[in-house]
Order: sequence, then C-alpha cells, then structure tokens
Amino acid sequence: MIEIEHLGITFGSGKSQIAAVKNANLTVAEGESYGIVGESGSGKSTVLRAMVGIYSHWTGTIRIAGKPLQGKRSVASRKHMQMVFQDPYGSLHPRRTVDDTLSEPLIIHGLKNREDRVLKILTEVGLGPEFRFRYPHQLSGGQRQRVAIARALILEPRVILLDEPTSALDVSVQAEILNLLSALRKTHGLTYIMVSHDLAVVGHLCSRIAVMNRGEIVEEMSEEQMRTGNVKHEYTRQLWTASQGYDREALATFKEFV
Amino acid sequence: MNKLETTGFEAEAPLISVRDLHVTFSTPKGPVHAVRGVSFDLGRERLGIVGESGSGKSQTGRALLRLTAGNGRIDASRMMFDGMDLMKANAKTMRSIRGSRISMIMQDPKYSLNPVLTVGGQIAESCRRHEHVSRAEAKKRALSMLETVRIREPEKVYSLYPHQVSGGMGQRIMIAMMLITNPQVMIADEPTSALDVTVQMQVLSLLDDMVRERGMGLVLISHDLNLVSSFCDRVLVMYGGRIMETLDAKHLDKAQHPYTKGLLNCLPKLDGRHDDLPVLKRDPAWLHEDGLSGGASR
Repeated sequence: MIEIEHLGITFGSGKSQIAAVKNANLTVAEGESYGIVGESGSGKSTVLRAMVGIYSHWTGTIRIAGKPLQGKRSVASRKHMQMVFQDPYGSLHPRRTVDDTLSEPLIIHGLKNREDRVLKILTEVGLGPEFRFRYPHQLSGGQRQRVAIARALILEPRVILLDEPTSALDVSVQAEILNLLSALRKTHGLTYIMVSHDLAVVGHLCSRIAVMNRGEIVEEMSEEQMRTGNVKHEYTRQLWTASQGYDREALATFKEFV
Repeated sequence: MNKLETTGFEAEAPLISVRDLHVTFSTPKGPVHAVRGVSFDLGRERLGIVGESGSGKSQTGRALLRLTAGNGRIDASRMMFDGMDLMKANAKTMRSIRGSRISMIMQDPKYSLNPVLTVGGQIAESCRRHEHVSRAEAKKRALSMLETVRIREPEKVYSLYPHQVSGGMGQRIMIAMMLITNPQVMIADEPTSALDVTVQMQVLSLLDDMVRERGMGLVLISHDLNLVSSFCDRVLVMYGGRIMETLDAKHLDKAQHPYTKGLLNCLPKLDGRHDDLPVLKRDPAWLHEDGLSGGASR
C-alpha cells in the first residue's frame, strides 16, 4: 500500500542546513499498522508530514497504492490519506462547532449527504449526535481527539497517519483512544502509520516498528523483538531498556548516538 | 485518620508532616475543591505522587510551599516542616524557606528559565539570593554545581542562554539552580515529562544521587505510574483530590484499590499483543469519605 524509497528532506541552507530525514525506506502492506518511534528531532514526524504533503521539497519516491506522489497534489489525491495530529487542543478551530469542523472536508471534496455523513461518523467514533453542535471548549481532551479522528475518517480514506495521537491525553483516556483506533482499522480495513516517542504505545497498535535516530531508520522491530528486547542495533536496545522503567544499572551503559 | 505505612526511612522525625490538607479555589462558578483531606509524612526518601490531570497532585506540591494561586485557600490541621508550622509562618519566613530549604523543579525548563539571562547567571543569582556570598564565589559555586549535574564543559554552558540548550540540559540547569542552596526537601513537579525517555532516565538518576548523597527528601509528582514506581520508595495514588492508596513502590502488583489497578491495567505493554486495553471505570464513591478506606473491600 505504501512504499517509501530513499526519502530525504533537508531544511535550511548553507551552514545551517539540516538533513531531517536521510535515505528512509519502508513498505507498509494494505491493512497493516506500522509504527515509527524515535526521540525528539529524530525526523519521525517529518516523514509523515512529507507523505501528507505539508512539506513538498522532499527527494526520493513515495508510492501510495502503486502511484508515485508528486510534490504538488491534486485535491482528489489528498482524499485517500488523512492525518490525526498530536494535540487535540491545538488542532481544532476554537470558534467552529464539531459540525463545521467535520463538514469542511466534505465541502472541499464536494461530497453530498453531508448531514448523514457527519451523524454517521460521530456515532462511529463513539460520540453520538448530541455532540454535533458543540464547540471544542465544551469537550474533554479525549472527546476532542475523537473529533479529530472523525475528521480524518469522514473522507473514507485508505491510509491514516497518526502523529502522536495520544501523548497529550491521560493514560485512561489513551486506552480508550487506542481501542477506538484499532477497532476502526478492523472495520474499515485501514492502513495506519503511527508515530510516537512511546515504544509501548506504538507496540500496542502496530505489528512492525521502525526505530529512527537523527533522521535515519536504524532498525525495524518485529512483534517478537518488542516482547523480548532482542534487537540488533545498540540504539534500539537503549530505547527499549529506557522504556522498561528506571534502572540504575542499565543507565551506566547509556550513551549518545551521533 | 487513615494509617500511613511506615518504612525504614521514618525512624527519625519526618521532614514534612501533613494532616488533612485542603486546597479550595473560589471561582465565579463557585468553589473548586482541588485537594480534599490529604495526609502524609515525608522522610529522607523518595516519595512519588501519582494521578491523572485534575487529581490535585500538583496543588498538593504547591501547597507545601504555600504557592497556591491568589484565589485559593489552604487549610490543614497540621503542616509541619522540620519543627516549623508552615500554616502559621508569615510571608517573610516562607520566603526564607522557599528555594533555600524546600525547593521546587517545574515541568518545562523552556518556561521556567529566564530567556534573557544566561543560565549560569541564573544559577549564581539563586546562590546570591539566599546566601551572602561574593559574585566571584557565586560563579565558582555555580560552575561546580553544573559539574555536579553532569554537564560537560561547564564554563561554556555557563554563558549560554536558555534557548541555546536542549530540553535535557535545561532540566539539569534547573536542578543545579535548585540544589545550589542545599535544600532539605525537593519537590519535583513532572520534572521529566517534557523529555525523551533516555534523557528522562539520566535526569532521574541525578535526582537519585542527590537524595542518596545529601540525605534530601524528594517528592516526585508525575502522571506516569510505572516510572514513579520504578524510581521511588513509596507512592501515593491520588484521584479527585484524595489519596486513594499509599503503596510500597516495590509491590505495585499488590495494589488493592480499584483505581490503582485500573490505572495499571490500561497502560499499553510491550508484549507484542494487540488486544483491547481494559478501560478504567470510575466509581463516584471514590470521591467521598467512605470511598477512602473501602479500597480493599470493593
């Protein structure tokens, strides 16, 4: 479904030029859920933002369902890939109702039966029709993230890109959103790419995980490796150990990877 | 009063002793009761306070320094620090305690450092503010403090501005600033939440050393139950402004209260399975007095 070859993105020019992503390669099968983990500045979100078209100056090839993506996209091509952002407090317009937020993508793409679609999607994300005319400030963090998921899903895309969808939420709400995401993937046959700094969250939702450090994918982890921590690259091992909790002895072996 | 578990650390008198602490904010929509009857003792140990947003964990920490916002009121039948009654202390006494005897680390170094002063200058200022030392002496102490918090090339970092340092380094600088006065108690409010996991561990190990070497009492406030339990000696689990349960951190699996169990269960685990996570069901009775002791029977 998704094939990325030799993806590279640089920012700035001259001395201050930074290669945010260097030669990233990954393939995701249809209906699969793929994870990308890394620390801040590793370039994990940049990959998603290049895929969805927020950045257009990338090099390499991105193919979705066999078709290569261009730097400039047509409106119709954007319909198949949607994104859910990290912070539901920032990604919803504070002066638009839930109905406005969900109708806008329908208007842009010229889809009919707007009311039916909005009501259907609200029920699907577990909110119900009574939330249709609420403003974001009348919703809790978890409810807002449900609206953001509904906004991505309303165009019936085949690929959803999730950029840290639960890191702004409490753990109990995080569990609800993760359950919702995995249920939606099953019913709609969606393909996910999820980015997070939390190995456990990605490991829960995804069957394969790419580990990124300083713009490069250092290793791809399988389910078995997530369980046992039997990974090849030192950086991956360090990340895995750190996510197991505070351990004084293990810490002595930590180092910086440049 | 609910009995507090004792550990070996409390053989001597506790550094801080709090009984029946209440924090209430008056708002246009009526009073908001953020902390409802919290009691605990802090010895020379690492005490964790865990809860979700709105559980009153941060307000408990702030109330210890009487840093509650202007519209808030603190009530407690007892709030003692090293033989002093913090409830009766006047503003001047509080100022002499804050920073020099009890200090506080905030969540995000980006917002708690002054952006127009060099980081070294800020550490030295903290030193001069609390003790009568010369400028040169303060600088010397700031540099050695930077070394203590394991910053390489302290001379170079001393003259950097906050925007020039990374998040992990910023938090180390905050810790250096708070430790230079050699406090007896440190309150760390989500000190590592804004940091990457590996940096998080390094900052925690630093706090760990300080507690061990200086015999400090540490209150670590966090939303991360796993992290806190792997780091602290004891953990208080808060919900709705109350302490649901006090746990020995090593025996987290023996948690009795349904809230603690629910919190533990809804964490995703790295076990390679993708089953639905159990969702936390909240019992309104937890918010009432009788819900406090009834944890085991429910």
